[in-house]
This record gives sequence, structure tokens and C-alpha cells, in this order.
Amino acid sequence: MKRTLLGATLVLAALLAFGPGAAQAQTVIYAAGADPDSLDPPNAESNPSEAVNRMIYENLVKFDAKLNLVPGLAERWEQAPDGLSWTFFLRKGVSFHDGTPFNAEAVKYFVERMLGPEKPSRAGLYTPFVESVTVVDPYTVRMNLKTPFAFFLNNLAHSASGIGSPAAHKALGKDIARKPVGTGPFKFVEWVHGDHLTLARNDAYWGGKPKLEKIVIKTVKEDAARVMMLQSGDAHLAVRLPAEDIPRLEKDARLQLDSTETLRVLYVGFNCQKKPFSDVRVRKAFNLATDRDSIVRNLYRGRALPASNIVAPRTTGYVPLPAHPYDPEKAKKLLAEAGYPNGLKARFISPMGRYPKDYEMAQALQQQWKQAGIEVSLGTMEWAAYLAATRKPVDQTDVEIFLLGWAPSSAEARWILYPLYHSDQWVPKGNNRIFYANKEFDDYVDKLTKATVQAERDKYLKLAQEVLHREVPQIPILVTKETIGYTKKLKGVINSPLELTYFDQNTHLEK
Amino acid sequence: MIRYVVKRLMMLVPVLFGVTLVSFSLLQIVPGDPAVLLAGEDANPEFIEAVRKEYGFDQPLHVQYLRFVARAVQGDFGISIRNREPVIRLLLQRFSFTVQLSFLSILIAAAIGLVAGVVSATRQYSLFDHASMVGALLGISMPIFWLGLLLMLVFSVHLRWFPAGGSGELRHLILPAIALGAASAAVIARMTRASMLEVIRQDYIRTARANGLRETVVIYKHALKNAMIPVITVFGLEFGYMLGGAVLTETVFSLPGVGRLMVEGIFQRDYAVVQGAMLLVATTFVLVNLLTDIAYALFDPKIRYE
Repeated sequence: MKRTLLGATLVLAALLAFGPGAAQAQTVIYAAGADPDSLDPPNAESNPSEAVNRMIYENLVKFDAKLNLVPGLAERWEQAPDGLSWTFFLRKGVSFHDGTPFNAEAVKYFVERMLGPEKPSRAGLYTPFVESVTVVDPYTVRMNLKTPFAFFLNNLAHSASGIGSPAAHKALGKDIARKPVGTGPFKFVEWVHGDHLTLARNDAYWGGKPKLEKIVIKTVKEDAARVMMLQSGDAHLAVRLPAEDIPRLEKDARLQLDSTETLRVLYVGFNCQKKPFSDVRVRKAFNLATDRDSIVRNLYRGRALPASNIVAPRTTGYVPLPAHPYDPEKAKKLLAEAGYPNGLKARFISPMGRYPKDYEMAQALQQQWKQAGIEVSLGTMEWAAYLAATRKPVDQTDVEIFLLGWAPSSAEARWILYPLYHSDQWVPKGNNRIFYANKEFDDYVDKLTKATVQAERDKYLKLAQEVLHREVPQIPILVTKETIGYTKKLKGVINSPLELTYFDQNTHLEK
Repeated sequence: MIRYVVKRLMMLVPVLFGVTLVSFSLLQIVPGDPAVLLAGEDANPEFIEAVRKEYGFDQPLHVQYLRFVARAVQGDFGISIRNREPVIRLLLQRFSFTVQLSFLSILIAAAIGLVAGVVSATRQYSLFDHASMVGALLGISMPIFWLGLLLMLVFSVHLRWFPAGGSGELRHLILPAIALGAASAAVIARMTRASMLEVIRQDYIRTARANGLRETVVIYKHALKNAMIPVITVFGLEFGYMLGGAVLTETVFSLPGVGRLMVEGIFQRDYAVVQGAMLLVATTFVLVNLLTDIAYALFDPKIRYE
């Protein structure tokens, strides 16, 4: 027994002798909140995946930091006057990480994959619009559309439109999801699920040799642990910082905090086919009884923006609309008019931990609505059950009021107006979870979708958003902010409003 | 002995069969659809259908279950719906990690627990005894995630002795092993103390002393060896639990172990992963129990398995 104890002591002493390893020059450790799922852009559905994919893959059209559309792998493009075809002139001298040349054939292969029988999860970016794709010459490709689509370029700039090596996809099929090959500034090295993912510099990058040599993305689920890794220097960068820790981290002179206003609006939805929520006066009463300023100030400590529109301000196609007033007395009056002079009772559900402070916000709303005589019982479910509950068809659902968030990953307003409100998008087919149906609104959305002239598009965008502002089928509550922190030595970090934090060839560590 | 071991190993078959049945049924009862979950908020119905088909979720339940069992028998646990990795690879990766963490934790727990227990027993009601028993109480009562965060704050953020998370090197494992081992150390200490107190009052201990043996020989050879049986039971149980994954420790320290694999699998409705992990954990637990029983015989020759 003595020997065992001695042995144990020796082992411990040996372990202690390992000092912290000297950090490699230009190696960055990035603490992410969750493991990526797919590294195949057309099948990637989560932000951690998209952030990694943005470093490995590139699109024909890119978003800049303000979400403007700028050239990516296409140097320029032309839209036919009828809006039915787009021609892209590709960058020359680009090759994929496996040596396959990037050219019109690679683009054609990618688009046909989106349209084909494999049915990637993001196929919906292409199938409703793209008829076919033709190679004009090795560096010119034309996409022929079924119908004009005002935001086609946004779909090409979407994370899912990162173009992968056709050779790699032919060899691996769907398994390209764990052995990605793109043209981006960084190439894939290894992925130990649940632990880390390593990227290395692509020395042959067309945009110049990237300055960072290696990126290690660690999966650190626990918020407090991410914060401590940042403070202890075990991570150069940490995303999704919890609001409670931000004031303290701001005082740390070694750290840079960056809070970016996202495109995500947290909102409350009603079953618009069910009494009493089918009555616009009732929905307005809820809206009047909602004190957004108090929630933003007290619960989010200013790290959010009160929302009057389901479209967040940084979204392309956003229309500024007057703020919704807070007036519980008027809310009571409206309820009385609608036939509920003594208030009403309803069921309200909220996720817990999916969005920052989601359940706390639901509790605050519950209290606020009470002032107007609305009594809601508040329930929660774990995320998978919650998604399932809010996807039931209209004749089966028992959801009355729910809380959810939405961010258009193509950065434009149609990605909100169409899937959430158009009457042909009722769940489970689309994402209209509120069973909203309004012919006038549908008409505006259909028209803005097919607009080939920007002025026309913008006219219908405005009309559609005004309908929602008037009818409040859902109550937009606030626009979230995403706060990341990193060592001040790290320069050139991209913290996109799309809730993606990533690096490019210019990101570097100062000595 | 060999017949006994073989018999015990045979019992694994019905146990594992039961585990597959229970885990499969539980996953079916829990609401939520893996395909819908994978698709997220902006789900596309065609994709959901394609996923259901690819993973066989569109088949009747008994077909799904029998297919799973038929493949599992051949060592094929399917692929993860999340990242398309074969489940067997994920399990091996995660399990090798859990084994490392468990060994280090149980080593720390045994070292601290045995020393504290023996010294407390031989100096009953001394200051050391009181201190170590209060320590043991703390060790048992302290929530593991809280202890973990505290260790990280002190040793990573302030003293910078150990990294605050991640894996790869042994130094990454020290703090988690302490956090995970603390409660086991406490249990082992209390068990050792109680068992030792009983043994040192026995006649044969008095006889040993009367024979003029040195006190260390009396305590460590005659007393401790006989006091070990209940301690081994606790040791085996604690080790079994550790090998089953330590989800809180793994989460706090960002370690890729079996516990997180299973719990995240449940939240993601990654059926193949959860079922594979359940089988692995059940097998390990049964085997550790068997080893514990064999260890009894080593410490106490009176125990024989025929």
C-alpha cells in the first residue's frame, strides 16, 4: 500500500512538472460555445459551423462588415434586364486546397448539387429560383432563373453558398462534412469532435499569404469557463460572453470587447387562427402592455435594442417604423372593446437558454402583461421539444403564445417576411408558426420577391412591413447584441452581424 | 474462479439487451424530432424528409429497433446525425479520454481518501480526525461544477499554474481530476475510517500488538488489509461512475468525455450516439463490478468464487 501511495505521489509530481507550453507564434486559440455540426456549407445549420466554413470556403459574392455585397470568387456580375439570368465573371488563378482549379465548372457542379437529388439542407436557397446553370467559358458562368428574384445575390453570399472542391465531393459525397475542401485563406487540418478543430494557413491563397499560421477552435460549452480561458490567456478569443461578466471584462486592460448588433429579433408569436388572438385588438393589447425599454434597460443592461419591427435595422430592406408605445391603460381599453373587460387568461411558452436571457424575458413579459389584466401561465421545454411543439400543424397545435428568435442568414428582409408570415408557409411546410394569413401582405411579398428594379422592391418591402406593424401578428421585442472578447494583440477580427466570428488573411497577432 | 468470471460475463448479454430496449424506448418517448432539430428554426420540409429517410426514422419503431440491434451485434452503431461521424469512432475517442480522467481521479481520490481515513481512525477524535472528517463532509457536499469553477479561478486565472480548459496534455487533466475525485476521496476517507475503527478493535489486532509487531506493520498489514473489503466496494462503485462519464466536470473544463457525448446526444436527439454510449457505459459498469468482486478475493482469501 505504501508503494501505491508513493507511486501516486510520484505521478502527481511528474504531472505538475509540465509547465504551460510556449504558445506558437501566430497560432490563435478561439473558444467557441458549441461544436460545429457540418463543415459542408450546403448542409451547415449552426453558427459555429458557419463561422468555421467562412474561413475554409468562399462565395461568388461576399458580405463586407456592413453586409454590403462585394466581389468574392466572382470579380463582377451582370443581371439580364428581365431579371431571368445572372452572369458571373470569375476570378482566375484560384485553386481549391486539394489542387483542383476553381472555374466555371466548379460553380456549375456546386449549383447542380444544390438543385439535385442529394437535397442539402440549404437547397431552398436555390431550388425555388434557379432553373439551370451554364458554363459560358472557363471563367464565366450563367445562372438561369425560373423567376426574377430581388435578393438572389444575398443567397449567393449566404454561408451555405461557400463553394467546395468538386473533386473532393465526388470522392467523399456527404462525408465532405467532416473533411472540407474549399478555396479560403485557411484549410482544414483535424477535427476532434467535442474538443477542438484545427485550421492551418493556405499558403497558396489568392488574396495573399494569410498572416495567421494556425487556428485552434476549442469547444467550450460552459460560459464561465470561456470567460476564464480568456482571462487566463488560455484562449485568445472567446465568443458569446455572458452579459453578467461583460462589465468586469471591460475593465481588463489586456482585453478588447466587441459588441455587435445582430440581425436577430426576439419576438412573441400568437396563434392567429385561434380566439382571442385572431382579434387584432387583443394582439394590440399585448403589444401595448409590453414595456420594451424596461426589458432592455433592466434585463439586458443596454446590450440589446428595443424593436418596433420584426426586421432588424442592419438587415437589407429594413424600414424604420415608429416605436410601439407602452400604455397598459390603453391595452385594457382595447381588451374591453374586444369583449374581455375583465382581462383574459392564456398559455405562454418560452425556451430556456436558447437565446440570451430568453426565459427571464418571458417572466418579465408575464409581469408586464398582468398590469393590463392579461394573466399568462408560463411554461418552458427543452429545445428539441420546443421546436417540435411550435411546428405542429394548425389543427393539432395547442400553442397559444410563444417566444422565439429569428435572424435572416441571407441578411435581407424577405428571409423574414416570406417564411414567417406568408400564408403558404404555415408550419410544418414553412416557418409561419403563427398561422398568419393576409392576402394583401402575401401580395406585397410576392411582388417584392420578383422585383427587378430596386425602387420597386423597396416600395413593397415598406408596404409589407407596415402591414405587420399595424396588425402585430407577432410582437417584436428586441434586437440582440453579440459580445465577443479577445486579447488586444489580436488584430483584424471579423465579428459579423450574422452572429459569426471569424478570421481572414489579414487577421494577425501583434508581438 | 474462471467459471465464475465466464458466468458473470455471460450475464452481460441480458443486461445489454435490457439497456438497448430501455434506451431506445426512452428516446422514443421524449418529444422532439431529430430531423426537425437538425434543421433548426428555419427548417426546410424537404430536407427534414430526406434526413428521416436517410437515418430510417420513417420506418416503424420495431423495425428501427431490430435494425439497430442487428447492426450493433456486428459492432456497427450507426453514424451520428450531427456530424456524420461513425458512432464507434466517437465512442472510442471519448472513452479513451474518460479512462484517462477516471484513472487520475481515482488515483487522487484513493491517495487522499486512504491516508485521511487511516490516520483519522488511528487517531480518533484528534484534531486531524475532526479536520479530515469536516473536509470529507465538504468534499461530498460541494457541487462539482462549483468546485471546478473555483479551482479554475484560483489555479488558472490567478495563479496560472494550470490551463483553464481544453485537453491534449496531462496538465489539462489535473484540475478536473481533483474536482472529480474530491467527492470520491471524501467517501473513501469516511469508509476507510469507519472500517478501520471496527478492525483495530478486533482480537487479532491486539494479538499482533501483543506479539510485539511494530505499529506500522499492525496498522498497514494486519488492520488495513482486513478493513479494505467495504472500501473496495466504494472504490469500485466510484470508479464505475467515473468511467460512465462525468458530464459536469467535462462541461466545466471543456473535456471531450463520454458523459458530455451522451448528454449532448440526448439534447440533440442523436439516437445512435446515445444508444452506443449507453451500451458502452453499461458494459463498463458491469465489468468494473466484476473486477471489484475479483479484488475482494485478493484482499480476503476467505472469499472464494466457485
